[in-house]
Amino acid sequence: MSQNINVLTVDDSASMRALLKAALTSRGYEVVQAVDGVDALEWLDRNPGVDVIVTDINMPRMDGFGLIEALRGQSRFRDCPILVLSTESSDEKKARARSAGATGWIVKPFDADKLDSALRRVTH
Amino acid sequence: MKYQPVPSEIGPERITVMQGQAHVGSGRSEILTTVLGSCIACCLYDPVAQVGGMNHFLLAEPQGGRGTVSDETYGLYLMEVLINEMMKKGASKSRMKAHIYGGANMHAGMTRIGDANAAFASKFLNDESIALVHRDVGGESARRVDFDPVMGRSRCRTVERVAAPTQTPTLRPQKVRGDVELF
Repeated sequence: MSQNINVLTVDDSASMRALLKAALTSRGYEVVQAVDGVDALEWLDRNPGVDVIVTDINMPRMDGFGLIEALRGQSRFRDCPILVLSTESSDEKKARARSAGATGWIVKPFDADKLDSALRRVTH
Repeated sequence: MKYQPVPSEIGPERITVMQGQAHVGSGRSEILTTVLGSCIACCLYDPVAQVGGMNHFLLAEPQGGRGTVSDETYGLYLMEVLINEMMKKGASKSRMKAHIYGGANMHAGMTRIGDANAAFASKFLNDESIALVHRDVGGESARRVDFDPVMGRSRCRTVERVAAPTQTPTLRPQKVRGDVELF
């Protein structure tokens, strides 16, 4: 169980948010959720922060790339692990995420055990 | 059964959407088509952008697959692929309208997997606030669905049982099963 690890998930799909929350809370994570990049930044402005962020790429208002770039521009999030969780899997998109400052890339449909393992690796 | 006719002009390319696939119209004259047993086809359409697409999925895993969580994940995956590909062509999720077809229970006495597939699709659309404008699901008959992705019109016909696709799920692409790459 991954107790005391706070995860922010960012995804515009209500169904995906529900699935992520169920998968992570059952493994002991504390989960907060945002519906897009703007929502995530607003939440992070009002709160002390999280241990790791898991974000989708294709979202309205602000996509995952924009969110990563915005976070890496703030000193307090310079070292926060950010994992992309996306249906996309092209090398071009991965390279763009890496250049923006992402920590890793996970392809949907996600495997909850693999996601758990990745979260442990990037937070320890 | 309610029919929404597809134009009968000669010429549109017919594109078959197989189980495990999602396809978005190119903007040219074409018809997306599939044959369904217990599977579901979801047709989404944005009437403003005139962008439409169809997917075709079955939640059940092949033998040796994982549990119900990954089943639902796979359905979500194919819905998200369809929505994302439509958005790349100018569609807005908030304007999308949905038709769902299939979900037949083809074999009496067996698990009503068609009902489960149809319930998943309806719940997904409700949770995502996508308007479900037409559904033709359930029963015991296979269906052929034709969808015009430019006009957003569909036609659904029942077909002979012998023409129904196999009930055995095809293997899912392993390359998209949660691969993790740390930079």
